[in-house]
Amino acid sequence: MTLADYLPIVLMAAVGIGFAAVSLWLSWRLAVNNPTPEKLAPYECGIVPLQEPVERFPVKFYLVAMLFVIFDVEIIFLFAWAVRFEQHGWAGVAAVGIFVALLIETLIYVWKRGALDWNVARRERYRTVVAERLEESQRVGEAA
Amino acid sequence: MNIDYHALAPEIILALTVVAVLVVDLLPVEKFWTAVVGLGGLFLSFIPVLTLGFCESLEFCDDTGVRVLFGDSYVVDTFSLVLKGVFLGGAFISILLSVGYLESDRFWQGEYYFLLLSSALGAVVLASSRDLITLFVGLELVTGPTFLMAGWRKGDARSNEAALKFFIIGVISAAILLFGMSLVYGVTGETTFTGIRLASAGIVDQPLFTMGVVFTLLGFAFKVSAVPFHFWTPDTYEGAPTPVTAYLSVVSKAAGFVGLLVLCYLAFAELRNIWGAALWILAALSMTVGNLIALKQTNVVRLLGYSSIAQGGFMLVPFGAAVTAGASPAQLEDAFFATVTYLLIYAFMNLGAFAVVIAVRNRLVTAEMDAWGGLYNYAPGLATMLAIFFLSLAGVPPLAGWFAKLVMFRSALSIGGGWAIALAVIAVLNAVIGFAYYAKVVKAAWFDPIPEAIPADELRGRSIVPSLQFALGLTVVAVVLLGFFPDVIARLGDLTTGFVSGF
Repeated sequence: MTLADYLPIVLMAAVGIGFAAVSLWLSWRLAVNNPTPEKLAPYECGIVPLQEPVERFPVKFYLVAMLFVIFDVEIIFLFAWAVRFEQHGWAGVAAVGIFVALLIETLIYVWKRGALDWNVARRERYRTVVAERLEESQRVGEAA
Repeated sequence: MNIDYHALAPEIILALTVVAVLVVDLLPVEKFWTAVVGLGGLFLSFIPVLTLGFCESLEFCDDTGVRVLFGDSYVVDTFSLVLKGVFLGGAFISILLSVGYLESDRFWQGEYYFLLLSSALGAVVLASSRDLITLFVGLELVTGPTFLMAGWRKGDARSNEAALKFFIIGVISAAILLFGMSLVYGVTGETTFTGIRLASAGIVDQPLFTMGVVFTLLGFAFKVSAVPFHFWTPDTYEGAPTPVTAYLSVVSKAAGFVGLLVLCYLAFAELRNIWGAALWILAALSMTVGNLIALKQTNVVRLLGYSSIAQGGFMLVPFGAAVTAGASPAQLEDAFFATVTYLLIYAFMNLGAFAVVIAVRNRLVTAEMDAWGGLYNYAPGLATMLAIFFLSLAGVPPLAGWFAKLVMFRSALSIGGGWAIALAVIAVLNAVIGFAYYAKVVKAAWFDPIPEAIPADELRGRSIVPSLQFALGLTVVAVVLLGFFPDVIARLGDLTTGFVSGF
């Protein structure tokens, strides 16, 4: 197999791109374009939407969901170890202990960082950053 | 199960460092200490790499030659040790570059070092993996944290764009890679590289196997940003924080190349005509497209982004040249050696170039080339280092870059044959084009007048943080010394070729 053997792939690519281009061009030339207000509406039937449908919702849900998934997966791993518990003996207990300790460390980290804290305004870092920004904007204001 | 803990010591120490960094971040101390712990951990994990490397001359060390662990899927040989050294060194310098940068703005520091070290751990694992699954896990551990690091400037839309683009491309490439790997596994019934190589002898002509190999390689082509899989590179490099860009362009890229090297020369060694031909095209395209677009750039970071695409192309040249049917095992070894040597030298040059960019942006903020005019007049030291790194990237002797180019050309020409010679000619043309834009930056810094728009207080001396000074010193010394004494790096490169012909 040499580079020349790749020629069929090049031809295939050319045919593929050509087919897509020709189909698009044909449908553009042949189709009847006759728009009406109804056709251009997002939904042709039903209630006309009055506002943007997607509301922003707090990112905290995502964090909690992630934590749930992580601990869910932990349990799956624990099951695999639990059914062979006696064969692995103390070495197995130690290995699983390290695994769980790592996850607990991350949980403590997340907790301390305030990811489980539902009320953002109470968070210390949030307050300090807001205070710093305020101070800065006042300083800029005074300078100007 | 008997585990050789000495062989795993670098990974274990690095994993403990990752844990320690998180703990330090929780303690009520300055965030600066997380970086110190990270640097210390990288240094400590470098020690077992040395003791493993010099095992035969050490008394306490039980010399067992190549250490094979976990049923052939994890191998600690000289190749993996040299590359572990590169990854640890690259991560070390990246942290040095990051310290001042992160402190200058209100970034979350603890998590940053945690992510960087996790990524480095992935790279260290990758260097030893000789199994499709270990390889994939290592590669994803390298890439995963870097998605977050690319978006570290949270309020900046460009940084968000960089992270999102990188994330999407990274996920797609992982999917393609897995698809290829699953085909390879399906055809050969093996996941270890030695197993695949043994199984591949009888089924070289199977189309499904060819498809698996090509898809696997394409997954890596995304990682090393070879043209035509390069579209994420310039945007991600420009938008990400500059220290992260330095890390991406050196450690993350090197990790991709390590994957390519072990796959091509070990697992798919019998299919040299397939990967050789595919990588021939990627090498030619990467060099040409990367260099031609770099020529038009006005932003130095973007220019370095395209330059890294082109440099990746140069590293792929020995792969492409190996497509020649008559290449002997010794010549293949030489091709392997050329890529590894290029990678080692490129790591130092590119980290240094980004260190200079960070130092200059510390004053000028912008990375537009016009604003850099007359840098020599007010920052002669920085301008000199800029010239050293950029001319080294261009391959001007006596800076280290010339040796990288030399071994690359030597391997392509010694293999010979029409295809290899043609690729070498393309590489020569591109080396000339490359010189033009590297020299353009140096010319702007040395000979152009200082733009009038720059306020005078930016020109006055502003101190560079000690960590950045240290990183600059380290890379300058390496690039200059390795240029004069290339046999040091050649010796390292020679050590790595063990499994190419010694199968």
